[in-house]
Amino acid sequence: MSADASDLSLVRRVQRGDKGAFDALVLKYQHKLVKLVMRYVRNPAEAEDIAQEAFIKAYRALPQFRGDSAFYTWLYRIAINTAKNAVVSRDRSPIEYDLDRNNEESYDMQGRLKDSETPEGLVLTDEIRSTVNAAIDALPEDLRTAIVLRELEGLSYEEIAAAMACPVGTVRSRIFRAREAIDRRLREVFEGGLGRAEELG
Amino acid sequence: MNEELDSQLSAMFDDELAPGECELLARRLSRDEQLKARWGRYAVVGAAIRSERGVRLNAPLAGLVSAVILAEPALAAAHGARRTGVRWWQPVAAAAVAAGVAAVSVLWLRAQTPFAGAPLSAHLTAPTATVPGAAVVPAAAAGSPDSYVVPRAPAVRAPVVPSTELANYVVAHSVFSSPVTRRNLLSAFMTGESGSAAEEPRDDAQSNVR
Repeated sequence: MSADASDLSLVRRVQRGDKGAFDALVLKYQHKLVKLVMRYVRNPAEAEDIAQEAFIKAYRALPQFRGDSAFYTWLYRIAINTAKNAVVSRDRSPIEYDLDRNNEESYDMQGRLKDSETPEGLVLTDEIRSTVNAAIDALPEDLRTAIVLRELEGLSYEEIAAAMACPVGTVRSRIFRAREAIDRRLREVFEGGLGRAEELG
Repeated sequence: MNEELDSQLSAMFDDELAPGECELLARRLSRDEQLKARWGRYAVVGAAIRSERGVRLNAPLAGLVSAVILAEPALAAAHGARRTGVRWWQPVAAAAVAAGVAAVSVLWLRAQTPFAGAPLSAHLTAPTATVPGAAVVPAAAAGSPDSYVVPRAPAVRAPVVPSTELANYVVAHSVFSSPVTRRNLLSAFMTGESGSAAEEPRDDAQSNVR
């Protein structure tokens, strides 16, 4: 299995003029990119603006992307440069969260339990998060372990298979079934949440 | 929706799908809005599990980026237009390079030739020569393919056949040549004879060659 094959297949489509393939890349990386940009700016809305600008810059620069590095690494560099430029142009000093991985993880794990600490503007996000957490809690043990190892620890299917002492095909199936179970619950929130989002806006 | 397709989508999201399958699914993903929405929700699930602090999970970022990109020309068309824009200079550059190479080649050849700057008569007395015992042997004899031949004694300098004797030969066989050709050959030999004689004296080896 070649790493980044999925991104590369989408990138090649965009390079051939298929704009729809770029939507998939944005959907996949938008949260990670906003999180990255938030190391440089305080305001989540500003971080979203910078992430949006970074995606548009990436789209325009995509003909020059040859696939020497992973698409996400390339996108990361664009986002960091865009964020730094935004900070300089607004004469602000960047804010670096000097958290090491362990601290960040413990914060995240606590954050899952402390949804009330999130800002007012993130009400729907809270709802999404609590729905996902509830769905994960309701999963059978093997599905829950597989999806958490994948999403939280970032392990590959092969590593999860080794950890769970099962074939790679089983891991793939468990992760898929876990996602499907969570997605069923999430779809209800999104379908009901669109109207609420307009009210909030 | 097809369960196998969704399973593939989940694996593709994790970069765990074979490249060939990725190609096929990427095509479908870019066109199928339902599949794209599911893909987006997979990303939300991941972000929710990671509890990415301060990140809005319902942000309209993807829609905004999509709207901006929709107003732009497709990359293949834009890239093609840029290439067309710079194409005019390519034949000019190619011609310039070709001319340069040709000029260098001519100058180099002129520098290499032994008759450079010599009178035309010198060319006419050039070695129309026979090599003593210059019977050629097939290269196959030396273990090489017999598609070409090599001289037996390449190190020996080939003696020049005297023009006078060649002239005699031409006269003796004049019945087989036209008057005009014969006259041209004879005048060329006579001119060449005097030119080569002035440059290098004949030695015994040359005089013995017939």
